Amino acid sequence: MRRIESQIDTNAPDFKANYAAMSERLKEFHARQHAARFERPQRDIDRLARQNKLGVRERLKLLLDPGTPFLEFSTLAACREYDGVVPGAGVVTGIGIVQGREVAIHANDASVKGGAWYPHTVKKIVRLLDVALENRLPVVHICDSAGGFLPLQHGVFPDRYLGGRVFRNQVKLSQANIPQVAVVGGHCTAGGAYVPTLSDYNIIIEGTGAIFLGGPPLVKAATGEEVGVQELGGAVMHTSVSGTGDYRAATEEHAFSLAREIVSQWKRKPKTIIETAAFEEPYYDPKELYGIIPKDRKTQFDMREVLARMVDGSRFHEYQPDYGTTMICGYAHVWGYKVGILANNGVLFNDSSLKAAHFIQLCNQNRTPLVFLQNITGYMVGREYEERGIAKDGAKMLMAQGGSVVPKFTVIANASYGAGNYGMCGRAWDARTLFMWPQAEIGVMGADQAANTMADVKIRQLQREGKELTEEEIAAIRDPVLEKFRRDVEAYTSTSELWDDGLLDPADTRNALGMSISASLNAPIDDPNYGIFRL
Amino acid sequence: MQRIFQINGEEAECWLSHDGSEMILNTPDGAIPCQLDPIGTPGGYVLRVRGRAQDVRLAVGPDATFVHLNGKTYAVRRVDPAERLAGNEGSAASDRLVAPMPGVVVSVNVKPGDQIEEGQPLLVIESMKLETSLIAPRGGVVAEIPFAEGDSFGLKATLALLAPEEE
Amino acid sequence: MTISKLLVANRGEIAARVLRTAKARGLATAVLRHTSEQEGPAHRIADEVVTIEGATPVVAYLDIPQIVEAAQRIGADAVHPGYGFLSENAAFVAALEKVGVTFVGPTSEVIDLMGDKIRARAFVEGRGFPVAPSAIEDDDPATFVERSRAVGYPLLIKPSAGGGGKGMRVVRDDSNLESEIETARREGERYFGDGRLFVECYIERPRHIEVQVMGDGQGNVVHFWERECSIQRRFQKIIEETPSPALTPEQRDEICETAAGIACAVNYRGAGTVEFIYAQDGSFYFLEMNTRLQVEHPVTEMVTGFDLVAEQLRIAAGEGLSAAQADIPQNGHSIELRICAEDATADFRPAIGDILLLDEPRGEAVRVDSGILGGGKVTTDFDPMLSKLIVHADDRAQAIARAREAVQNYVILGVTTNTGYLDAILAHPDFASGDVSTGFLAEQAETLTTPGKDVSDLLMAAAALSDERLVNDVMQIPEMHRKMGGWRN
Repeated sequence: MRRIESQIDTNAPDFKANYAAMSERLKEFHARQHAARFERPQRDIDRLARQNKLGVRERLKLLLDPGTPFLEFSTLAACREYDGVVPGAGVVTGIGIVQGREVAIHANDASVKGGAWYPHTVKKIVRLLDVALENRLPVVHICDSAGGFLPLQHGVFPDRYLGGRVFRNQVKLSQANIPQVAVVGGHCTAGGAYVPTLSDYNIIIEGTGAIFLGGPPLVKAATGEEVGVQELGGAVMHTSVSGTGDYRAATEEHAFSLAREIVSQWKRKPKTIIETAAFEEPYYDPKELYGIIPKDRKTQFDMREVLARMVDGSRFHEYQPDYGTTMICGYAHVWGYKVGILANNGVLFNDSSLKAAHFIQLCNQNRTPLVFLQNITGYMVGREYEERGIAKDGAKMLMAQGGSVVPKFTVIANASYGAGNYGMCGRAWDARTLFMWPQAEIGVMGADQAANTMADVKIRQLQREGKELTEEEIAAIRDPVLEKFRRDVEAYTSTSELWDDGLLDPADTRNALGMSISASLNAPIDDPNYGIFRL
Repeated sequence: MQRIFQINGEEAECWLSHDGSEMILNTPDGAIPCQLDPIGTPGGYVLRVRGRAQDVRLAVGPDATFVHLNGKTYAVRRVDPAERLAGNEGSAASDRLVAPMPGVVVSVNVKPGDQIEEGQPLLVIESMKLETSLIAPRGGVVAEIPFAEGDSFGLKATLALLAPEEE
Repeated sequence: MTISKLLVANRGEIAARVLRTAKARGLATAVLRHTSEQEGPAHRIADEVVTIEGATPVVAYLDIPQIVEAAQRIGADAVHPGYGFLSENAAFVAALEKVGVTFVGPTSEVIDLMGDKIRARAFVEGRGFPVAPSAIEDDDPATFVERSRAVGYPLLIKPSAGGGGKGMRVVRDDSNLESEIETARREGERYFGDGRLFVECYIERPRHIEVQVMGDGQGNVVHFWERECSIQRRFQKIIEETPSPALTPEQRDEICETAAGIACAVNYRGAGTVEFIYAQDGSFYFLEMNTRLQVEHPVTEMVTGFDLVAEQLRIAAGEGLSAAQADIPQNGHSIELRICAEDATADFRPAIGDILLLDEPRGEAVRVDSGILGGGKVTTDFDPMLSKLIVHADDRAQAIARAREAVQNYVILGVTTNTGYLDAILAHPDFASGDVSTGFLAEQAETLTTPGKDVSDLLMAAAALSDERLVNDVMQIPEMHRKMGGWRN
């Protein structure tokens, strides 16, 4: 593979201006992530201390192997919900290393509303368990939750992908012979009681951990029985009387030491073998991405420059370099793993769609995982393109992409608009992980087009009613719509709603992909098999 | 991976990791790059810690690693982390000896006020045609023996109560 | 009375050491081995290994009929007893004499006499040699307390049958003399089955100096100079040296001639040691005579150039002494360290374990008399002394330096030993200046066991990196994750 020859001049004024703008954005992004992870009202910190409990971050430290990475998902989930008082949706999820094994981790954050489950909490947990299922990752649950947040129970409880799905996924994991261990470091009440009980192993921390279907107040209300937490569902009772608990831990440290010991009992399964090469750092500094991504989203840039700062040795084998040039296809290595990359270099035309469909089939045939690097405004519109069958060529690309059996990974690097999002493996298309850069946007169309379209409908309606509108009146209709759309397409909205697995500093993309690809190889890759291609 | 060692009677906790090129010993005082290479003589190694190399001789025993370093021999004892962290298993439950099943008291070997040692038989019960000797879960003083010889008792009846331990 | 086959009725380092000389002299050799005892260096040297039985190894090594029978069975015409066990047992000597096997050592009468401290003392005193002011209970039990009082304070009460410091009591004033006598009597009865006591004046900060003597049983006696043995823990020596740094040449001659005189008085045969208590003012008193080869005899060999075991065998074979007094030099300085399996930081509690790695120091003027082999086990069946490290140099300072280097290079891994403690003693300024007494180790207990500079991170690193399971676990972490280190997104 040849090294990509970068055309970037890091001393150019544009580069420097972009760099400064991106640095500013990332400063805000990192500050928000830090706040979501660590900043809590003093009373919540005091309460944990009073309860003699460690914070979720300290618990993770006790669990994870030192000096190993942790790929955290959706740190900013719910950042635009609930007035921002449920940082991270009250739960930490991610992929980490325990006793040398890759595990998915689901850890309640009791410093956020006592770890209560909000609608976004459930969505985040279900997503994590989906990741575990798709990638066959063992799961460590760290349970410490007040239960479902009652005022929002309709958003937590009844639907297919709500609360029940957590437990359904646990059952599916168990069926698939994927082990789970739960550390009960707080209360597991009602539905929450099923997290440890559906796990293969569970550990209850003496004094702080408890499991019951109904807590003492509920029991009192239901039957009049007065009973304390420890008698009702404490560590001693469950590990010696009910058998609901497996291990009783004297302290948090003891609990996580036991959890690690349990994880180390699990048989290591062989990983799926794909083509690999020795590691090589990118030849070009990934931090230069900050200067490459234009501060104005409408400015075009060459995605090869992005690839050069993401893949091993900045080396890239490009497929059909002179055909369908708005779609870059080719092979590269990420952390030694060989991947097929599809990266947008402009709008999708007929030829670029056909090229993508063909390349995706090559990768499936060759068991090469796919990486989609999105900067897409959509498929080309207009009479000429419709006549050439842009819709059926787009369908071929969807059929190839959607029918892929190899693991797929998506990075929304800049724009993700319309059907381009579908073709490029958007959220609905089962990417094993999907990350977004903080300046990127996602929507059916760009905010300006969407606002104009909506405003025009309204304006024409008024005109039909015979109203003549002044410029000010038109602006008064258009501006609020535009403002709402601009906010709705922002990456922060996407990540708040868990349409992605989290926002990434562009320079972290390589590691996030490496962790994701490595995790995906815990699951086998099926034989290729496709639906009908409209020819 | 975690280990707890005991050196000169003092416990020290550390984790070992590897950053892809070298081993890292993670101690409460920080991360220390280290390396151990055999030099061919029996038990002979070069130990590199923070970039400084020195000759050591070492031998790994069942419970301790013995290290000859700078003319001195040290025993580095290994402590099982789970065992140490489990700490004092004693809880309120161990004050009370509870009937594992219903039965009859065959004999009582102690009376309230007696000083007892851990493992000492306190009373013998009969249940399901089997005699079982109930032993003291810890040392201490007998506070109460609620049943006498010949008495029947139910499941989870308290058969002996020890005086609470003083802190 | 030639000797052609020698049975060494001992084990460990001394058996190996005796066997080496015996072999060099062309004798056929045999050594004992208890059924439960592991192989030691001696078993590899001896031509023949004779298995002995007994409830415990120690019982077997003290079993006179079994050992005499073994000697006869294998056709040994001489038995070397080493030290300890049956080396000062008159009954053993008598039993061997009865069957015509030569005992390499003195006559049973001399052993008997010197084995009884009170009789030995009376004998020595009677011949005009210095003994500490004392009172012996047996002389007149009725006046024992009064006579004790006359010795003056401080005084030391000792059981007549005692040894190893057991049952000894220091009395500093008159108020508790009588009660202490009673206590000592009870202890004597308990330890030795003999409640008889004697009292001698207690010498503050005494030194222990002894003299090696050798007699041919024909009236010829020579001495091989003195040994200083003041470095003792729990009344047992752990460092010995010669010459004594305390003696002037005149004092040296006086004490050595006194020792030779005592040996001459009993018409001593073989190797023996006359022990003296030496006061800070230069006065010295007879303590006891050991009628055998001493543990610390190698320092004497280093400075005189004589092989004392060879001398013993010559004498036993009737060949007499190989040298006259004038031919016995005292060249340079020699120090012996007793390497023991014990924990100096825990009241010298004997340690047990497997010898996982053994690498003994070598080099010019460094001698190791070792009783262990790599791969062996250290149990509590025997004395915790594993081996002896002996060095020689031109002067004391160089000998100390050489001893330190050697003990620092003494690698015994798998069982706790006192090598670090011995090194700490050698490094102590009071030891360097020679200003020590038998109480030195007790007085300096704290300074000698203080841990040195903290190397715990090095030790942790060594222990962690040599832990195969741990390293294996770490290396099981996929390489990519290791390289990423503690990355967080």
